[in-house]
Amino acid sequence: MLNFVARRLGQSAVLVLIMSALVFVGMYVVSDPVAVLAGEDFTEEDRVALAQELGVDRPLILQYAAFLGNVVRGDFGTSFVYNRPVLELILERLPATLEVAFFAMFIGLVVGIPLGVYSGLNQKKPATKVISFSTTVGYSIPNFWQGVLLIMLFSVWLQVLPASGRGDTTQIFGVGWSIFSLDGLSHLMLPALNLAIYTICLQARLARSGTQEVMYQDYMTFARAKGISRERIVRRHLVRNILIPIVTITGLQLGGLIAFATVTETVFSWPGIGKLLLDSIHNSDRPVVVAYLILITLMFVTINFVVDVLYALLDPRIRYT
Amino acid sequence: MSDRLIEVEDLTIAYPMADGEVFRAIDNFSMSVNRGQIVGVVGESGAGKSTIGKATLGLLDENAVIDTGGVSLDKVMVTQLEEHAFTDIRGNKIGYIYQNPMTALNPVLTIGEQMIEAIEANTDKRGAAARAYAIHLLEQAEVPQAEDRLSKYPHQLSGGLCQRIVFAIAISAKPDLIIADEPTTALDVTVQKAVLDTLVKLTRQENIAIILITHDMGVVAEMCDYVYVLRHGKLVEEGPTAQVLKHPTQPYSRELMAAIPRIDQKVERFAVPGGLGQAEDRQRAIQYLMSRKAEAGEAGAPLLSVRNLSKTFTTKATALKAASAFKAVSDVSFDVMPGETLGIVGESGSGKSTVGRMILGLHTPDPGYEIRYRGRDVNELTSRAEKLAHRQSLQCIFQDPYSSLNPRMTAGDNITYALRAHGTIDRGEARQLAGDLMELVGLPRASARKMPHAFSGGERQRIGIARALSFRPDFIFCDEPTSALDVTVQAELLNLMKDLQDQLGLTLLFVSHDLAVVRQMCDRVMVMKSGEVVEAGACDKVLVAPDHPYTQGLLDAMPRFRPEDAA
Amino acid sequence: MPADATTTDVDSALKAEAQEPSFAQKFWKVFRGHPAALAGLIGIIVFVLLAIFAPVIAPQDPYDQTQLDILDGLLPPGSQLWDGTPSVLGTDALGRDILSAVLYGLRISLFVALVAVIVGSAIGVFMGLLAAMKGGWVETVIMRTVDLKMSFPGILLALMVLAVFGTGIDKVIIALIIGAWASEARLVRAVALSELKKEYIDAARLAGLSDWRIMGRFLFPNSISPVLVVLPMSISGAIGAEATLSFLGVGVPITEPSLGLLIANGNDYILSGKWWISLFPGLVLVGLVLCINVVADRLRDHANPYLRGKD
Repeated sequence: MLNFVARRLGQSAVLVLIMSALVFVGMYVVSDPVAVLAGEDFTEEDRVALAQELGVDRPLILQYAAFLGNVVRGDFGTSFVYNRPVLELILERLPATLEVAFFAMFIGLVVGIPLGVYSGLNQKKPATKVISFSTTVGYSIPNFWQGVLLIMLFSVWLQVLPASGRGDTTQIFGVGWSIFSLDGLSHLMLPALNLAIYTICLQARLARSGTQEVMYQDYMTFARAKGISRERIVRRHLVRNILIPIVTITGLQLGGLIAFATVTETVFSWPGIGKLLLDSIHNSDRPVVVAYLILITLMFVTINFVVDVLYALLDPRIRYT
Repeated sequence: MSDRLIEVEDLTIAYPMADGEVFRAIDNFSMSVNRGQIVGVVGESGAGKSTIGKATLGLLDENAVIDTGGVSLDKVMVTQLEEHAFTDIRGNKIGYIYQNPMTALNPVLTIGEQMIEAIEANTDKRGAAARAYAIHLLEQAEVPQAEDRLSKYPHQLSGGLCQRIVFAIAISAKPDLIIADEPTTALDVTVQKAVLDTLVKLTRQENIAIILITHDMGVVAEMCDYVYVLRHGKLVEEGPTAQVLKHPTQPYSRELMAAIPRIDQKVERFAVPGGLGQAEDRQRAIQYLMSRKAEAGEAGAPLLSVRNLSKTFTTKATALKAASAFKAVSDVSFDVMPGETLGIVGESGSGKSTVGRMILGLHTPDPGYEIRYRGRDVNELTSRAEKLAHRQSLQCIFQDPYSSLNPRMTAGDNITYALRAHGTIDRGEARQLAGDLMELVGLPRASARKMPHAFSGGERQRIGIARALSFRPDFIFCDEPTSALDVTVQAELLNLMKDLQDQLGLTLLFVSHDLAVVRQMCDRVMVMKSGEVVEAGACDKVLVAPDHPYTQGLLDAMPRFRPEDAA
Repeated sequence: MPADATTTDVDSALKAEAQEPSFAQKFWKVFRGHPAALAGLIGIIVFVLLAIFAPVIAPQDPYDQTQLDILDGLLPPGSQLWDGTPSVLGTDALGRDILSAVLYGLRISLFVALVAVIVGSAIGVFMGLLAAMKGGWVETVIMRTVDLKMSFPGILLALMVLAVFGTGIDKVIIALIIGAWASEARLVRAVALSELKKEYIDAARLAGLSDWRIMGRFLFPNSISPVLVVLPMSISGAIGAEATLSFLGVGVPITEPSLGLLIANGNDYILSGKWWISLFPGLVLVGLVLCINVVADRLRDHANPYLRGKD
């Protein structure tokens, strides 16, 4: 296990390094920050001075080394737009994104898996047809348009839920949370639902196909032949087996939710890191974009690692060495 | 009769098919089982024998329809029961033993969990008592270190042990009947014998009846009191085992008995019908095959000479597994004379196939070996043409007919694609050759245009033989060519191979786990165990009076098919 | 090895009766008894025809600025433009007829998605086959690149590509290709690796065939079906992704609006009650994606051995 952890950490470090290099080259070299930042009235001298100030006159490898050195010390640079340290900006907004992503994931798992198992077990029931058609519709509606529809329905017509912002936040551990106040929760509902609908559909489909697959395995027939009750067969033999693929996908999904939060946050003006990213792309605020991508990579690497460990705990056939 | 346990009456089970037709898996079948009796249900694939067991336990596929008749247990018609009523029967009155023990046990639950849930469902033992009973059962099923096994997962145990655990679960509620569906098919022969002995011992103790579903006449001969022979869902013949084996009255049963290879006597040909192709086409094919540029080596020199052949398989470290090394073959040396058949026998994992694959060049042996073919070291072949000629001169007949043909090419293209790709023959010649070779192996030449999936397993093996022959090889490695086939199909195929060898003077290396098949096919035999040759010599010697205890063990474990001895 | 223990009696009997069906028969088999899938298929055909004949059907050329009149702006559905053209679905703020804009937008959306998925899948299939066939460092390089790509959600990757290269139809296609190839490569490699273990590949090697021939004539045709099965899903995914990028303002340019950009344009007017600008492009987008997904589901279920013959 220790060996495995060490190897995985090594692989993760390489991954983060490659990602940072790609992002760095993409952001600082392929497109020229001087051209972006320089005003209309800049003279050639001004441009050279700006290049020196930004450090982009040096060889690429040195620039990257300097950048990495700063990153290791926790310095991702300063935002062009906000004129504040990038890390601070991102960390300030991260809780909002995590809050909506985890809440959506929770809804997705709690609703999606039972729906999927039910429809996998009862393939011919009418409810199954309804579930399977609804999930197809659910994931066919692009996330952003779903958001638009939710706003039309709940904010414009029914006027029961607010369409934008975080509402009241409660300070816990120095971080603001929406979920602990009624107003905050009402603001959280639509963005979370927006992200959750896709998750519900995905988890339901996964659980359904997993169930269908496991149902025809020999050990399920043998479990029936042993004379144990159907309820127990489902609870013990089936669910343990379908959890294995679900855990993997859930890990990937969590990453996907954080990524898709960019869309949801834009639609609902939710002040998370996704909205920050898009604003920064539009404003050519490169340090923020670079820092966001590197931090996100780190986050995904961590999630993947946790998934692998969970995987080993669930599936006795896998033993890391 | 008071001891009548199971009565199957006029049972017909049908499956609706996609094209609207109905497929009858079991057709108007009747049988009965008395308490404590061991009854065999034998037949080849497609006979519908598994369906009978599943119907008795209510485990038929959802789309199966019971058209007529039914199965009664103690005079209760079980085939009409609802699903929930079956929980009283399953495990309780009838135990079930599955074909493949490795897939019958749930991979993510421990042995203990799986045993105890069955015990708690079918007996009044709970908690610690159930656990103690589970250990007791495992000991009865002769599972060593019974207590430790409870915390293990199925993949940590061997197939034989898993099957013993399945036995233990099946007898846990002391049922009246056990349905054993091919209980040893997935096991090696030495394990098979011991596992069956345990099963008989356990059931005799408790006077439990067995319905033994199998394709293996040897197993039937050794175990069963009474036997039913099925074909295509219909009963062909029934009777006391000895009577059916000794004096089969129906043509199909006779053919079946004649097709079984016997370890104790060698026959020239199996007495099964075998269609020969059109004489003219066969003759043309044989002419083509005989026209190979035979560089006859020195008289009396071996065609193939192998020295110090070893193979270590290493796996690289991945995220999930550490690197490992496994010695599949160690230090094997032998010669094969032109025109002879050398057999290699051994259990799975003995390295017998790996030897052949190294000779073919599909695996690279560990350094320090020497393979000489027609007197030349194969590593000294330098030019492209020489290498290609060498490669094509050694061919293979593969084990699995369902994967040995390219499913996206017609049978004819499968046979001649490579020759055309190398520019050896043109399109017209290829069509001619494919047709001739198809006839040679006993298939109509017109069927060369069909895709592989339109052929049965035996027919696909014939196409595989035609493909191997298309290169006009001198040496053919036969890698368990009949192990996936039914016994009558096997007999036909072995007949074909003998005929071809006689006509073409081919040299064969014949690998099999089945000693009786090797006895029929080979002149000399090597016995392999864990990558090493433990004994080698003439078949008549090694397979009759072996020197090595391992070979003796193999021979003793073989289910004997000797109808004349049957009581 | 013992006899083929996995083939049940019924299976082998069915196998023996199998005959080579024609393409039309196979096709019909997939959709027979599945009205939803059939409706999806018809829907796809209709959408594709609408896209192809958009210039003929559309009452207005939405790209032609000279045809637009700001006085026609924000007309509700069922109005008439000043030149008398009926505007069935209303107009946007620039006076652009929504029906025309949707038809042209459909064209752009379909074009971008199809090109991206076809090119991306082709690259993915080739890379997957190459990795499986060659092994060694070739495989390591390809698969580590795939891992790198897969460890990153597609939408973020596309955002990054567009942030670097700027926006435009060509850039969006590139971004989607970069997003598309990796999963296909992984899928094909997995299938190809299991095919490579089969004996017909050994037979091809014994015949002295080159790696390229084995790859082309043996591996490729036998590894391609899972990709074909997921292809519709990839296309609907790409349509959604393009729409999302355009909605976020980093996709296609405003002069050639796709469905996503049309929705985004209308989004600003939702709160003021001008619902038609956003709703109609949205409905067409969802209708198209839904039709493709229904067909894709059917194909996938049909390809799933656990479900075959059970429904």
